Amino acid sequence: MKSLVLKLFAIVLFSISLHASAAHEPAAGAEASSTFKEETYKPQTLGEMTVGFLKSTGVYAIISPDPDEVNSHGEAMSDFHKSWGRVLMILITFVLFYLAIAKGYEPLLLLPIAFGGLLANIPVANIAGPHGFLGVIYNMGLANEMFPIIIFMGVGAMTDFGPLLSNPKTALLGGAAQFGIFGTLVGAVALSQYTDMFSFTLQQAAAISIIGGADGPTSIFIATKLAPELLGAIAVASYSYMALVPIIQPPIMKALTNDDERKIKMVTLRHVSRLEKLVFPVMVLSLAIMVLPDSTPLIGAFMFGNFLKESGVVERLSDTLQNALINIVTIFLGLGVGSKLAADQFLVIDTLAILVLGLTAFSVGTAAGVIMAKIMNKFPGTKVNPLIGSAGVSAVPMAARVSNKVGMEYDRSNMLLMHAMGPNVAGVIGSAVAAGVMISIFGK
Amino acid sequence: MEVNYIFEGLKIMLLGMGTVFSFLVIMIVMMNIMSKIVHRFFPEPNDVDNNTSPAMDNNAKKVAAITAAIMHHRQVK
Repeated sequence: MKSLVLKLFAIVLFSISLHASAAHEPAAGAEASSTFKEETYKPQTLGEMTVGFLKSTGVYAIISPDPDEVNSHGEAMSDFHKSWGRVLMILITFVLFYLAIAKGYEPLLLLPIAFGGLLANIPVANIAGPHGFLGVIYNMGLANEMFPIIIFMGVGAMTDFGPLLSNPKTALLGGAAQFGIFGTLVGAVALSQYTDMFSFTLQQAAAISIIGGADGPTSIFIATKLAPELLGAIAVASYSYMALVPIIQPPIMKALTNDDERKIKMVTLRHVSRLEKLVFPVMVLSLAIMVLPDSTPLIGAFMFGNFLKESGVVERLSDTLQNALINIVTIFLGLGVGSKLAADQFLVIDTLAILVLGLTAFSVGTAAGVIMAKIMNKFPGTKVNPLIGSAGVSAVPMAARVSNKVGMEYDRSNMLLMHAMGPNVAGVIGSAVAAGVMISIFGK
Repeated sequence: MEVNYIFEGLKIMLLGMGTVFSFLVIMIVMMNIMSKIVHRFFPEPNDVDNNTSPAMDNNAKKVAAITAAIMHHRQVK
């Protein structure tokens, strides 16, 4: 017993001496740390301390920016982006607060994004840097495309494919609306070809044009994959236009239809059995596997959420996806996107082009959906009210509500909401397929 | 060599819209086939219940009413 204690004692002594010698070995490191310590502990007069403190205030950082400061990518920033650009961005986030709270524009996402933007533009603290908490959130789930996928699961669990299943041909409207994406892609490359101001690569053009799908998570997914430097502007454009659906869409819908078309009544939707709803997600996923595996991250997550819901045996999981999980991820997603609203990344001329191109993409998508409905009416078969064509852009369920509202303006008894949900959810699938095409061309 | 990006963009548009539409058209066809199969071989039990149970209820009520009437008639006798 005694010898054992002695042995232990010897081992402890030995290891301590080893540690001590190890600590002495890296002489250079020790020296560096000792000089560092000296600096830290250097006695200061009260005056020096006060000056030092004043130099670390936000006001000082804005008035005379630190020349060595780098952005979250470790690149040098211009003085404007370090000083008044930040003030401007903070004011912009205040405007976003106003829009979210007073006007109710997608507050669930706009508020976290705007507050993230506010935090990202604080000088000195470097919250959006790789070690700040916004930077950590960004790397945790946005840089690796995790959050948009989880949001997609939640959206899947909230989606009811019943209206689409009972009137399958309305899926074509959801396809036509994707023309907004590809039309804008051409527009974006034309813009960079013929003007010197913008020079978007094909990847960047693809990421911008996905805004036309009016699908926030898909936009973010593609932007982080193809053009992470444009993520902030793309996400903000995408969610602002989704929020502005009730303002952007009706004029386009009214311009493209006449009175008779707007009053078309659609046949009542048939009842869809539970088995059909249960088979549908697996069927679409199998189709995606065969045709376009690149779209399966999005479609797979979407159909997973939907499958849990329709299975009817995992109420708890489906409930978590629809509520708790999507809420948590929305907070992180918003803050992470907000971190890209740092002045040096947002206050560039490209942002303006993205906002304009995004709006074009969105409007073209709306128009293409309406026109497609009119083309379908040229063929024999049951008539389609062209107003539901605009719901082909995937902003669920906002776009469908807009179709319903415009329809009611012309005929109080014409309820289009459920009919518009068909193209609406088909639009989600359509934009996921379009995203898959982009990934298959540019990705990896 | 100068690459014409607009032409590239148009090619992507053609391919993209083609893929989206073929995907959705196949999906529509599959949806129709699937619905037919489901309705042919797995008709929803709820439908059957909904159609038959009210009828059964009615019958049961009628039987009850008739029985009650007969009983009443017999008692009065």
